[in-house]
Amino acid sequence: MSDVGYVVAGWTATGAVLAAYWLWLRRRTRHAERLDREG
Amino acid sequence: MTLLKPDVGRAIGWAALAALVVLALFGLWGAPPDDVQGDAQRLMYLHVPAAWIAYLAFAVTAIASALWLWPRTRSMVWDRIAGASAELGVLFTALTLLLGSLWGRPVWGVWWAWDARLVTTAVLLFLYIGYLALRRVPAAPDTRAKRCAIAALIAFVDVPIVHFSVTWWRTLHQEATVFDPELKANIHGVMAFTLWWGVLAFSLLYVYLLDRRYRLEALEEDLEAKELEQAIAERVAGAGTSAARPQEEVPVA
Repeated sequence: MSDVGYVVAGWTATGAVLAAYWLWLRRRTRHAERLDREG
Repeated sequence: MTLLKPDVGRAIGWAALAALVVLALFGLWGAPPDDVQGDAQRLMYLHVPAAWIAYLAFAVTAIASALWLWPRTRSMVWDRIAGASAELGVLFTALTLLLGSLWGRPVWGVWWAWDARLVTTAVLLFLYIGYLALRRVPAAPDTRAKRCAIAALIAFVDVPIVHFSVTWWRTLHQEATVFDPELKANIHGVMAFTLWWGVLAFSLLYVYLLDRRYRLEALEEDLEAKELEQAIAERVAGAGTSAARPQEEVPVA
């Protein structure tokens, strides 16, 4: 793999990890909010 | 139930996103390639800010834990901040190791080396994974907060070891360059700007995610308390019904 390949892999992986964490946080928060409203 | 006002939290979220887009533009195109490492050095703009945020997150966890242990400042707010920040610290430490590995392969020729900086960073990751596991062990809120606060303070001892590992031992990993006054690193203006911009973008992202994670922690604690109250009420009601039922006569032999 060329240097550019490692750079692209690193930037893509960072974006994917951060986006996945943010989505997981949002989904779990909405789930908790729904349970809270339902009492 | 948030650390920041909702509008402020949202604004920081958007600012973080915009800062990350600018970082990508400069990190991938704006900054020139390094004279020695070529394009592989572009991973520095993520690797260094990720490591910085991991240090920051664990420092916040340690400070919040100390504030929980101090009787005058004891509040569950500090326990929630400690837990939320530790999770972010684990996320950014994992990213630091991943990016370091991807950077190490073209520059050092290996994915991993049993080097003091790499090993102490991996130990840091596992220490805080253990801390997060400890937070999941069922216990009364005060008991859990106390044991986790003590564990967080012990785990934090590894942070200065990670930082100074490159000066204390001979390592493959380079020593600090930007902050070394003796070295007087002559870094290209755009490269320096991109590096500092990365630190700013990741700091904004950390503040935004900490606020969101804190809200989730508070919501889940609330739900847990409600479930417990409901279970106790049901148990009490059940006991009352059985007490009110007339006792059956037992035949005497």
